Parts: sequence; C-alpha cells; structure tokens
Amino acid sequence: MSDAIVLRQVSKTFRKSTIKREYTTVKSEVVRWLRRQKRPEAPSSSIHALRDVSLAVPEGKTYGLVGRNGSGKSTLLKLVTGIYSPTSGTVEVHGRISALLELGAGFHPDFSGRENILVNGIILGMSRKEIRSRVEEIIEFSELGDFIDEPVRTYSSGMYARLAFAVATHVDPEILIIDEILSVGDEHFARKSAAKMEEFRRAGKTTLLVTHDLGTLQRRCDLAAWLDGGEIRASGDPVEVVNAYRTAVAEAEVAAVEQPAQAPRPRAAVQPRSGPPAEAGRRWGSFQSELGPVVLRGPSGPQHVFAPDDLFKLDVGFEHFDGPREAALELTLRTEGGTTVWVSTAELSPAEARGTVQLELPRLGLGDGNYLVDLMLTTDKGQILRDVQRGLHGFAVRAETQTGLIAPVHRWALVSPPGSPPPQGPDPAREPAEPEHPAVSVREGDRDPAL
Amino acid sequence: MIKNLQELWQYRALLWNLTQRELKARYRGSALGFLWTFVNPLLLMAVYALVFGVIQKSNIPHYTYFVFVGLLPWIWFSTSVGTGASTISDRRDLLTKVRFPAQVLPATVVATNLINFLLSLPLMVALGAMVGIWPNVHTLAFPLVLFAQLVFTLAVTFIVSALNVRFRDLQHIVQNVLTLWFFVTPVLYIPNAVPEFARRLYLIVNPMAVIINSYQGIFYEQRWPHWRALALVTLGSLVLMAIAARVFEERREEFAELV
Repeated sequence: MSDAIVLRQVSKTFRKSTIKREYTTVKSEVVRWLRRQKRPEAPSSSIHALRDVSLAVPEGKTYGLVGRNGSGKSTLLKLVTGIYSPTSGTVEVHGRISALLELGAGFHPDFSGRENILVNGIILGMSRKEIRSRVEEIIEFSELGDFIDEPVRTYSSGMYARLAFAVATHVDPEILIIDEILSVGDEHFARKSAAKMEEFRRAGKTTLLVTHDLGTLQRRCDLAAWLDGGEIRASGDPVEVVNAYRTAVAEAEVAAVEQPAQAPRPRAAVQPRSGPPAEAGRRWGSFQSELGPVVLRGPSGPQHVFAPDDLFKLDVGFEHFDGPREAALELTLRTEGGTTVWVSTAELSPAEARGTVQLELPRLGLGDGNYLVDLMLTTDKGQILRDVQRGLHGFAVRAETQTGLIAPVHRWALVSPPGSPPPQGPDPAREPAEPEHPAVSVREGDRDPAL
Repeated sequence: MIKNLQELWQYRALLWNLTQRELKARYRGSALGFLWTFVNPLLLMAVYALVFGVIQKSNIPHYTYFVFVGLLPWIWFSTSVGTGASTISDRRDLLTKVRFPAQVLPATVVATNLINFLLSLPLMVALGAMVGIWPNVHTLAFPLVLFAQLVFTLAVTFIVSALNVRFRDLQHIVQNVLTLWFFVTPVLYIPNAVPEFARRLYLIVNPMAVIINSYQGIFYEQRWPHWRALALVTLGSLVLMAIAARVFEERREEFAELV
C-alpha cells in the first residue's frame, strides 16, 4: 500500500514579527532605507514551529495527531493542506484533499443557509454540479429544517456548526484533513458526525486529524503521532502514543504542583515560625519536629501517576529535634480543586525520636484527576502543630473511563432478560458507528476486582 | 501569467459565485434592493447635471453626457483598485483556513465592478439618446476598449492587493493616488485642454487617459479610437499583467502567514 501523505524532514519557521503582527509598512521600509539599515533578521527573531518532522500516512488509514497547544499540530495540517509552504523539507500529497480546518469558511452572515452551502462547498473543492446533487442531503444532515432559508446570522452557534459540518462532510475527497471538529454540537449530532467519520474510514479514505480527545484517537485512529515543541516525540500505535503522552502530561502537572517544595526548606535550628500564615501557605509549624522525606510508591516503586486499581503506598519520614515523644500524623487527601476526599490520622506511638510511617492502600480507588496530600504532624494531643505541609505533595490518577472522584471496585455485565434468546451481537440500528464496541463496556471489569 | 489565469479559470465557479454574492450583498436588506445598481449612477448623473449644467456651465456641448461617458469606466477602475487593495489582507478567515488560489479575491472585485459598469451602460445610452447622440457603428470598437481596461484594471488590482498584505498602509496611499489620477485623466475635460507638449507624454504614462478617451471617442464624439494608442495600451497592459502575475506568485506564499 502506498502512502497518501509523506513529509520528509519538514521544518517551518515563522519570523517573530509575523507572530507579533508587527506589519511592515511603506513608511517603515522608507525609514529603514533612509537609515541604510539592513532588515533585522537575527536567528533569535524566528520561531521554529516544526523541526525536521518526517511522517508518512498510508493510504486508507486514519492518522491522529496529539500534542499540547502550540506544539505545531495545526501548522503541520496547514503544510499538508498547502496553505503554508515548508521552510525546508518536502511535503507530498497524493490524491484530492479536503481540509476542515475551520467550519464554515467563507460563510456570509447575510445569506441564507442554502446560499452559503453553495459558496462554502465550492471553497471546499466541490463543483457546482456536485453541490446541486447533494444539497438536499446536506440540508437533511444538518437538521436545520425551515431555518435553511433564514440568514446565517440568525443561527445559534450550534446550528452554524451543524450546517458547516454537514457541508464539510459531504465533500467527497480522497484525503480528509480535520482539525478538532468532531466535538461539534450536542451529543446526538456528535454521534452522527462520528458515524460519518467512520463511513469515510470504511470507504478507504485517508484521514489526518488533530484532536485533544484521546479516547477518539485510540478508538478511531490506526496510527498516531505525538508532537511536542515542533518535534515528533512518539509515533506508531495509537494506544502506545497516547500512553506516552498521558504519562508525560501527568508528570508535568505533578512537577508543577510540587514546584514550591523546591524552595529552601526552613530548618528547625534556623528560625522556627509559628501560627498559620495569612494566605494558604505551603508549610508552617513550630518546627520542633520535621516531616520528610515523603515518597509515593506504586506497585513497582516510586511513582506519581497511578491507575485506579494500583497499589498505593505513602512513606513519610519524621524526626523530633527535642527527643522521643508521642505524636500524630494527620493526612488529608484532597482534589486540586480543594474538595476533601479523605482524612485519616496515624498515632505515632510508642515514642520515637525519628522514623518512617507508611500508609498502604491495596487499591487506590480514585477516579481520573489530580490529587494533593496534606500532612500535619502534631504532638500533645493535637495541641502543638509541629510541621504542617499543605499542597506540597501530589499525584495524578489517569483513568480512561472512570471520571469523578472515586473508582470503586465494580463489574459491568450484559444481562439478558429471562426467556429471550442470547443477543446476537450489537443491534445495528442503534450503534451503527461502532460495531466493535458494544453499548455496554465490560473492559473495566476485566481487571481483577480483588486487587 | 498563464498558470495564474489557468487557476482562475479552474476556480471560475468560485469567482462567479463570490461575484454574484458581492452584487447581491451590496444592496441586501435595502428597500430598493438590486435597483440601487441603477439608482446610484442615476443620482450621480443628476449631481453632475446640476453642477455643470446649471451652476457652472461648461462650453463643452452636452457636458453631462460627456462626463458620464468617461466617469462610468473610471468608477469601474478606481473602485476595483481602491477596494481591491485590502481584499486579500481582509480575508484572514479564508486564507488561513482553506486552500484556494488567492487571485480569486482581487478578480472578484474587478468582476463585480465590471458588472456594475455594464449594468449602468443602458442609462448612459438613454442619456445620450435624450441629447440626440445614438450609438452607431463605432460601438463595434467597444469590446476592444473594454478588454484593454479589463487587463489593465486586473493587473493593477493584483499588484496592489498582493503588496498590501505586507505593506498595510498601501491601501491608504492608493486612495490618494487615485484622487490625483482622476484629475490627470481627461474625464471632466477634453484632452485638447492639456497643453500640446504634455499631451503626448501623458497619453504614454497614463493608460487610463487613452482608455477613457477611447470611450469618449466611441460614445461621445462618435469616431474610432486612436488605434495606435489603444494598441499600445493593450500591449502594455498585457505586459503589466504578466508582471502582476509574477509579483502575485512570489508573494502568495506569505499571504497565509502575514494576513
């Protein structure tokens, strides 16, 4: 099978003035010429949107791109589409291309939906004849009804998007370039859009798409690449690429949360502070004792990113500078947003001068999100706060299908009503888009709930 | 140039639709609607008739008609160049989102104004008939003059629209240059009013003078245009068009990045 799109060591550089929108004017050119200055073109004044990117999209495959904002995804799509030309390297495209980089390109607010279908369709590369033969189909798909003859400016944003998507998907290209438009409209329409995409895929068309919806990427793409800072960090199997991306993003988030901990820690010997600080401080106390080090462990050693089913261990070291004594460690687990999830206290007895206390959760049981661990070391029945650490420690939970606060042990199963024959596979009328994924997912339950 | 025009031809459906839309959009929502296409030149005609027929009488016979013959094609030219200047720099929404030949945009402006010009011609003829000047055999030369002006207008609009993407103040400069250009073009006066020595020079450096003079020859003086001058201008316009296509091609890469 041949490749529909081939990029060979493509780089794209923008001059900074272009990005800052500092227009060259006739005046500025004349002034520069009068002063006999050279055009300021220091290498520092350029931005490398893409560096040495090589990638091939095989014919008939769906290729997904992920990456943070500003990682160069959109630039890449514009290069493939031909809106930009590469600074160096080559871009080859084999086949009629249709790019949906923005919905409703060229829509005129004063014209009716019907009139706009015509111009938008032509802009997207259809001939007048093609549009005429498909116009009813497009109107039907858009579900606009009588509104189709009203001016587009009277449309709600959802209606606008529906019309635009309807036109865009009725262009019949060999290669489809899509920038994040699958999530258009309400759920019903989103499903229709997904079905349309699936139709493209089954028809053997090549698709290159950018999305932030990692689920979509894993389900719909045959191949994927992760762009970071204009370079390809990983490419190949979508599941692997998404996992690599997720881990990196979660680690970056946790690193950001832990940043304050790297500030110089006050030592008890130096200058003990007492009382809670004015703002939601990071650390305070009498510092007659100190907590640390704090280590989070997973099934295979220290980690910051967990799955709901993971084993979770927390080691907290402590030291009393004024000799062995009984103490208590209060742990508060909360979400990044501040919702308290769980509070638990450990009695540190018998009296020790130093040691490590370990918390173990056989199964973490939290849903997707970022969490913070607050620690408070007290003595004398909670009277004296010796070391309070708020928001200094954190971890992330990544769960594809389990959002919300908790992820209890659970199992999904398909139960047939008594007397009826066992189901013969999914009902084609209800879920035409995803025959390979039945409506009821049993994937989470596949894991051993005893963990 | 061939490639540039070929692409334009490929996208003629888009060109035609955008032009249609432009024409419709101009008067959409107004009470008279499309009639404005005729009312506008009619009102203009009334103003000139008032100023030069009543207030400041000119010694050129049928002066209002004379002005009209030169003014209509001038409006085609100046409106095309004036609004064409920002036609690419204003369409960020299109250029950065879809791939299509950018020359469609200036071409749309020229085509829209050409149609407005053609639609106002019957009014001009009617006015001529009122003063007793009926179109005669000389009208046969009209398509040739029209062609020369089309090529020239297209070329100038291409260049101005392409350069304005980088040099944003060009559109303001263009407006002022057009005002000056209007007065050095014999629209309100006859070329004989220009001193003999300047007349030649002026016909050479100002193609619009030759073009306007040709219209006046056909419709007002009822004679054939000065063939040599017209041929020269047509040829010059074609050369300019080739240059314009080149400038356009060179700049095209930067449109999407700069708009």
